Amino acid sequence: MSSRKRDIEISRFIRKEGKARPHAPFLFLLPALLVVFAVLIFPIVFSFVVSGFDWPLSEGAGTRKFVGLGNYFSLSGDPEFWNSLKLQLGFIFIAIPIELLFGFAAALLLNREFFGARIVRSLLLLPVFFLPILSGMTWRFMLQPRYGPLNSLLISLGAPEITWLGHPVMAYVAIIVQDIWRMWPFMFMLLYAGLTAIPQEMIEAANIDGAGFWRKLRSIIVPMLTPTILTSVLLRIIDALRVFSEVYVMTEGGPGSATTLFSLYTHRQAFGYQKVGMASAMAIFLLGISIVFALTLVRKNMSLDSLEEKAGAG
Amino acid sequence: MKRRTKKTLTSIVIALVAFVVLAIELYPIAITVINGFRRDIVILSGQPFKFSQLTLKSYEMVMKNQGFQLGMRNSLIVGLLSTGVSVLIGAMASYGIARFRFSWRNGLAYSFLVFRMLPQISLVIALYLMFSFVGIRDTVAGITLAHTSFNVPYVIWLLLPFFTAVDKAYEEAAMVDGCNRGGVFFRIFLPIVAPGLVVAAVFAFLNSWNEFLYALILTGVKAKTAPIAINGLLGGETLTWGQACAAGTLMLVPVFFFTLGMQKFLIRGITAGGVKG
Repeated sequence: MSSRKRDIEISRFIRKEGKARPHAPFLFLLPALLVVFAVLIFPIVFSFVVSGFDWPLSEGAGTRKFVGLGNYFSLSGDPEFWNSLKLQLGFIFIAIPIELLFGFAAALLLNREFFGARIVRSLLLLPVFFLPILSGMTWRFMLQPRYGPLNSLLISLGAPEITWLGHPVMAYVAIIVQDIWRMWPFMFMLLYAGLTAIPQEMIEAANIDGAGFWRKLRSIIVPMLTPTILTSVLLRIIDALRVFSEVYVMTEGGPGSATTLFSLYTHRQAFGYQKVGMASAMAIFLLGISIVFALTLVRKNMSLDSLEEKAGAG
Repeated sequence: MKRRTKKTLTSIVIALVAFVVLAIELYPIAITVINGFRRDIVILSGQPFKFSQLTLKSYEMVMKNQGFQLGMRNSLIVGLLSTGVSVLIGAMASYGIARFRFSWRNGLAYSFLVFRMLPQISLVIALYLMFSFVGIRDTVAGITLAHTSFNVPYVIWLLLPFFTAVDKAYEEAAMVDGCNRGGVFFRIFLPIVAPGLVVAAVFAFLNSWNEFLYALILTGVKAKTAPIAINGLLGGETLTWGQACAAGTLMLVPVFFFTLGMQKFLIRGITAGGVKG
């Protein structure tokens, strides 16, 4: 009785408080909004403005001139731009499916207990948290001629040594292998979590019905994991779209422009060729693509309402 | 009986495969750590690994290297500052989203999430021009602000599940007893969600610690962070692998310490926007 009274008192109070201070959420959000405006929204708008100019990086490199959409047109006629876009797409379409495949296979194999299973599962995640620049550095070291471990191995086998990072195709393969090495455990981590969330009863029921491994895979595991797979692939795409540091440390985009992925070419435009306007046009282009993927991910998977339902249920 | 033998056999084969794969995955990391204990000249001459050649010389040299010292110090300052600011600001915003109902609430929450996923290369050119104009390029304050930009949206989304899981009753009771919203937030709510704040702080720190591109463009001599200093060790005429690896190993210590210590939260941490810099 008295607790009910207290409840009513509380709800009346909250309502009153809410009416008296409609700006309360705004006060809590204000600092974050200020930061977001200063270092995210303003730079985006500013990039858009700059992309309409012929804008040299330093005073000595020329004068600013408004060119409208000129930079975008120049880009569409720039073979290096198309090259970087091609390399970027290749990177995404080669690395991510392989990472997904490895991660999925590992999740299936390691979803059982054996001696050391827990240790394997945790240590497998270390490459994901290895600093990207260290990853680039280590791979660069392993692929060095003369003293790099891979070439030492080739020489001891009697094979000729290869200047991996000096060869356009090999260098491109190398940066992809580096990414696969580092990020397939990421796929494994998410898929393994999804796999352990599948109700055990479903698998048992299938076992009783005499379903074999492939049948279980096709009819239960893959359909149940599809949302997790989509989420992890989207996360990886968003991440791969902005890959920079590991490749920069490993090859600096070379030899020539054989590994100049999109962000490396943007960097080169701005700080190599000093064409800030062109670089900003590229920045806006990449921003557009990233926002499309981010919105897809957000709309599909992350919802405030489901967070609250979960909280209500728990 | 026969079925059981087959099952044990499968387990043994899988365990073997798993350990081989693990060895391959850890090899590049092991190389980095081991090379830190070898001298540059030993590495460059391509000599096979010998226990007798292990030495702390590279550590000694890199610790005395003023560029790296400065980078380490800056990395620590920038990491701690941007973490502190982001966790405070992010926790406030996350509370605002979790506890109030307003018309632009959903849109706002989702835009924070999208902001976390924007490529840094798309922002860094404008930031370079802005920072040059204001005069905070190559300052600790400037690079801290840049790191805060990705950590604030990240912290907001990392904290939301922690915040929505807390029962409103505590805060309501405190408010009835005469505490205002601010007091409720700082004195009642934050202590309850302290574990979440620790998780957010750790991941925010690692985001800043690992970050490379902003530091490359927005700092120069004075405010360069440790990753830039390490990259510098590989940029000169001679490749000082030993020192670079020693420096890299030092940077890895907090990363692996936290990663292995926070297994439970890794997925939450990584899907809130990724730990990658």
